[in-house]
Amino acid sequence: MKVIASYSIKGGVGKTAASVNLAYASAKAGNETLLIDLDPQGASSFYFRINVEKKAPKGYFFSKKNRLLKHIKGSNYKGLDILPANLSFRNIEIMLDSMKKSKHRLKDMLSSLKDEYDLIILDCPPNINLLSENVFSASDIILVPVIPTTLSERTYEQLLTFFKKNNYNKKIIHPFFSMAQSNNKLHHATINNLEKRYPEFLKSMIAFSVEIERMGLHREPVLAYASKKSNAQAYRALFNEILSLIKK
Amino acid sequence: MKTSKTSHTYCLLPDNMTKKVFLDTLKEHFIVKQIGFISENFSILETFDWEVYKNNLLAIRHEDHSISLWDEDNLFDIERAKKIDNIAARSKFWWDFPDCEATHTLKPLLKLRALHPIYSGVLKIEQINLQNNEGKILVFCQLMSICNPEHPRTPIMHQIKFTPVTGYAHENNQAVNLIKQLGGFEPSLTPLESLLGAIAVVPKPYTVKPQINIPVEIPARQAVSKIIATMIDKQRLTEPGIIKDIDTEFLHHYRVAIRMVRAAIAQLKEVFPSQDVITLKQRFGDLARETNRLRDLDVFILDQSRYITLVPEAMRDDLLPLFDNFQKSRQVEAKRISKWIASKTYTKEINQLESLFVHGYSATETLWSEKPSIELATTKITKTYKKIHKAALKIDHETPDAHIHKIRIDCKKLRYLLYFFGNQFDSKKIKTVSKHLKSLQDTLGIFNDLTVQGEFLTEYLDQFEHKDDINIRLIASLGGLISVLYLMQKQERKKSIKELAIFSNKANKKLFKETFINKEQGEHNE
Repeated sequence: MKVIASYSIKGGVGKTAASVNLAYASAKAGNETLLIDLDPQGASSFYFRINVEKKAPKGYFFSKKNRLLKHIKGSNYKGLDILPANLSFRNIEIMLDSMKKSKHRLKDMLSSLKDEYDLIILDCPPNINLLSENVFSASDIILVPVIPTTLSERTYEQLLTFFKKNNYNKKIIHPFFSMAQSNNKLHHATINNLEKRYPEFLKSMIAFSVEIERMGLHREPVLAYASKKSNAQAYRALFNEILSLIKK
Repeated sequence: MKTSKTSHTYCLLPDNMTKKVFLDTLKEHFIVKQIGFISENFSILETFDWEVYKNNLLAIRHEDHSISLWDEDNLFDIERAKKIDNIAARSKFWWDFPDCEATHTLKPLLKLRALHPIYSGVLKIEQINLQNNEGKILVFCQLMSICNPEHPRTPIMHQIKFTPVTGYAHENNQAVNLIKQLGGFEPSLTPLESLLGAIAVVPKPYTVKPQINIPVEIPARQAVSKIIATMIDKQRLTEPGIIKDIDTEFLHHYRVAIRMVRAAIAQLKEVFPSQDVITLKQRFGDLARETNRLRDLDVFILDQSRYITLVPEAMRDDLLPLFDNFQKSRQVEAKRISKWIASKTYTKEINQLESLFVHGYSATETLWSEKPSIELATTKITKTYKKIHKAALKIDHETPDAHIHKIRIDCKKLRYLLYFFGNQFDSKKIKTVSKHLKSLQDTLGIFNDLTVQGEFLTEYLDQFEHKDDINIRLIASLGGLISVLYLMQKQERKKSIKELAIFSNKANKKLFKETFINKEQGEHNE
């Protein structure tokens, strides 16, 4: 079982769109896949037509496997399950803070699912806090969508600094360009610059597109309703690139 | 999820329930989306020995001749079918199929058997999703019906399968209960059994092994009659397959069954008047001999690829005309045998023979005919064993082949006796004895096959003697093949001698004594 986190300190960079489409691509490729919506806003749950849980018992998220499994929902697609967001996730920091081994609780929880899934995708909220540290220790790959702008560049650097300062393995960080606009000169320049400075950037790039924005209307992954469109193909290419990283 | 196996719920729907009533009921509680519909002519495929069914699988042939294979938990689930595509309608052996997962599953089950249709009908499959207002699928349903092709609107079987979506067990139960309230019910049989039951197909796995339970105390003649009647029945079951030339195993088992009948007559001859034995031997012998040539050809053709690899690569193509020739001869011979089995003459003869044994053979009493069957069994088994044991002890590297062949025949006799009367002795011991015997027989069998094959090819070679038009390269490769078979035969001879020594060792002798001789004495002393 491998764990991929779609993570960024910054919001609105395409984390959820990536999580949803990669989870779909993974299930289509025959992997038993679980998408965990860690963001209390529940956007990825929404895309899969599953409502945010309001009444879930407090603390179930880090509880025993059987209790956790009860909250997993099957999506409309074979091989793809969702652990929907929960409003109590707003207080996850406080919860973690009071726990022992507070930086590894997520890792422990996920390892209990190793017989159930081939791949787990974490859709993370935009933050850098104790939950993020749990994500860093639990993941095999941290996928970071980066909009080719100066602000995103800055947050990416902040992430690297955080990793260095806290002795996390930097090698698991794999940034990719997200919401890139082909007719934007600044984007072009930033891409060139970042690719030179950070060779770890993935080759696959997700361009800005209205089709992706429409996911909210369709409530489906782009790959499901417009599988032949270039953006859908870009997500497929991104998934294949990640797959080859996992196999390494 | 991987470990939490999806638990489908199957419900058979009552005959009078229309699809409309069923859908309307579900629509009261769910948004019902009909997402796919298939209606096609199909056939269920099986082997004569029901190997597909015995392995909890179902194979069907679609209208486009492709084959779908399902395990019992996923019957008719299109996504989970192992498919064999792009095949001709007549392809029925595993070696006719392309190299794919389904072929890999079928190969060890089919062996030399053909997959042939045992039921044909119209299959209708409809996929239905039960959703909520947000378009979230809560339950997957599959409505499946099978109809007679002549009445495609009236299903013989009407079934719905509910597959729960993880996290929506409540909604799944709700849907199942709605259908149950309409008269739907969960069958108590497995999905495969309930399918076959609904279409009135009864699995009848065939095995040529006798599996007879002969009570120890019944008179010997009655016991032998029962054995022979059972084997004639097994022989007759293969007849339709030979007439249609479905696969070569039908004839093979036909011959094995006759061989056992002949063995029973010859070995247990004391229960019949001696004049009758001569006639019976002759009549069954005639049936067997009629099929000799076809079986020889079958054996060669089935092993074609192996034979070809026995000669040097440069000569392999030269052998092909030989096999072409065998194929042509086989076609002619198979037609002849098919006609013969279907003929009135054959039917009359086999019916007559069958009627002699089916209610017990009726003739004047003989010395052995009324003795308890156990006495006959122990006497014959011990006598045959002693004969083999004595002969085996004398075997060395100078023993003529003919002697080894004679021992092989005696071993076969012993094996058949164990088949016939095995139930009368300690089952554990019989199992061990049979295991030893089988190992010996396998080696002796290979030795014999190589001899027969060598002779067959030599005979084939003889026909070129008076021909003007001679294919030198074919003759050379044939010569090569005969030589290789001869060398192999010599190797097998060595192995046979070794196996015979093991079979006749002290431990085995003790085992035989414990299983049969002590029993004989014990019974007599009681």
